[in-house]
Amino acid sequence: MSRPAQNLLLVALGAAALWITLATGEYLSYVRPGFRIPLAAAGAVLVVLGGAGMLRDRRAASAHGHHHHGPGVAWLLAAPVVAVAVVAPPALGSFSATRTASRPAPPPPPPDEGYPALPVTAEPDDMSLGEYIGRAFQAQDGRPEVLGDATVRLTGFATPRKGGGWFLTRMVIACCAGDAVPFRVVVHGAPSPGADRWVRVTGTWHRPPAGLRRTTEPALDARRVIRIPRPARPYE
Amino acid sequence: MMAGVSVESPAWEDDVLPPPDWGRKPRSPLTTASALFAGSALLLVAGRLWIAPALDVRAVDAWTTVFVAVCVQALPFLVFGVALSAAITAFVPAGFWTRVLPRRPGAAVPVAGALGAVLPGCECASVPVAGGLMARGVAPSAALAFLLAAPAVNPVVLVSTAVAFPGRPEMVAGRFAASLLTAVVAGWAWLAFGRGSWLRVLPQRPSAAGDGRWDAFRSAMAHDILHAGGFLVVGGAAAATINVALPASWVASVAGIPVVSILVLALLAVLMSICSEADAFVAASLTGFSPTARLVFLVVGPMVDLKLIALQTGFFGRAFAVRFIPLTFALAVVSGTAVGSVLL
Repeated sequence: MSRPAQNLLLVALGAAALWITLATGEYLSYVRPGFRIPLAAAGAVLVVLGGAGMLRDRRAASAHGHHHHGPGVAWLLAAPVVAVAVVAPPALGSFSATRTASRPAPPPPPPDEGYPALPVTAEPDDMSLGEYIGRAFQAQDGRPEVLGDATVRLTGFATPRKGGGWFLTRMVIACCAGDAVPFRVVVHGAPSPGADRWVRVTGTWHRPPAGLRRTTEPALDARRVIRIPRPARPYE
Repeated sequence: MMAGVSVESPAWEDDVLPPPDWGRKPRSPLTTASALFAGSALLLVAGRLWIAPALDVRAVDAWTTVFVAVCVQALPFLVFGVALSAAITAFVPAGFWTRVLPRRPGAAVPVAGALGAVLPGCECASVPVAGGLMARGVAPSAALAFLLAAPAVNPVVLVSTAVAFPGRPEMVAGRFAASLLTAVVAGWAWLAFGRGSWLRVLPQRPSAAGDGRWDAFRSAMAHDILHAGGFLVVGGAAAATINVALPASWVASVAGIPVVSILVLALLAVLMSICSEADAFVAASLTGFSPTARLVFLVVGPMVDLKLIALQTGFFGRAFAVRFIPLTFALAVVSGTAVGSVLL
């Protein structure tokens, strides 16, 4: 790989990193929000590095005409740059949610004293899927008042389900999309909006059938389903 | 222009830059570069239009997302790891390491391993840093112990493990003990059996003064980022393929079998190539597997995985990788199992 190509590639790589963090916010489809600053800093370093190389080459070009060569394997770095620029792959959706269904994300640990009871109010409570799932497990574990008959509003995308209803889904990432696993809540009482459609579902806790001994998947009786655009932060 | 003018180029520059046989001979550098960029863009667009519909668009999307995610995630660690490594070679005097580390390599190995526990670093960063240490005259066995220990036992990783396994401090202790054990034994094994010719160490760069030193820093950094980055892309693509193509049911069906489940999770750690700061969360989600199997997953992952194999091959050469990687893998599985059966 020639020197001009090396510098060009470094600048392109840095520009791509800066573009997805500062310009579009697409980095949220790949990594956690906290990654914004290190990623932008790395992008800036790459742009400066490539730019400095270009400047130096321009100055040096008058002095000596020969070029130094870098490793050919570096060409592969063009692949993620082009992927970001041309394809802009979307956040993971129902395909990955179904594939990783056998190891769903553990809900966040409840507060030490357990979740407080949820009062019935006129306005629905906006709740993360993680909290809803955590509350649903506690509710099935002898504390039904943590969900009760309160109305909640959950946000996620639809994933098909065999055997009635559909899943309201949100992928959870610990570090990057490579480790994403799903939060899933079964939605009853409303037709599926179609796989990968983002929706906001208002509804109440779907109680498991009486007399059931094992824990069931958290579920919701939907009252309203509104389609929404994909949120800026697709992962929970 | 006279040919003799090229003496203006500093004499050490040929040491800083890679030998010409690492690259290809270009026809006209900038044209070739632009053509290749345009070509790969066209290829991706064509793939998107004609090949993707034939596969499963959602699978292709997921592959691309995971591929980009692994690259994006590793990029800052790579850039700052390389910067640290370049800074070590360009600015830290060679005598420093011989003062910090014990003179005898056998004693330097555990010290270097313990140093890894202090410095927070991702595995992508530790490979170039270890290369920089070797270039600065640190014994390869000690640098390798550092390479293995740094991503596995640093404070960030231990805290994330504690968060992922709430109320189970023995998981954190087990991870620390088994990882450090693996790193130190691997270092000693390399000291006892390794040969210098297997390991390609970048030539030691003479430190120049002023402008020249910054220039050495810049070109060392550019070279290492491009080189390691290319291999990182290979690792990212492999990890994305595993993520999208490996049937999840295969993994679930072996969870209950004792020895097999340990080996499967060890292999899975290699294939999934998750960064060491995140792998605890994945291990926590692998319910159904025994604690020992999950500990082995945590010990193997930061030391051997697809992107590390690619990076180590890139930095230290194939002759090194084919010997050191199986050695590390075997040691990590054995010490993870041993520590797990005692502690968990």
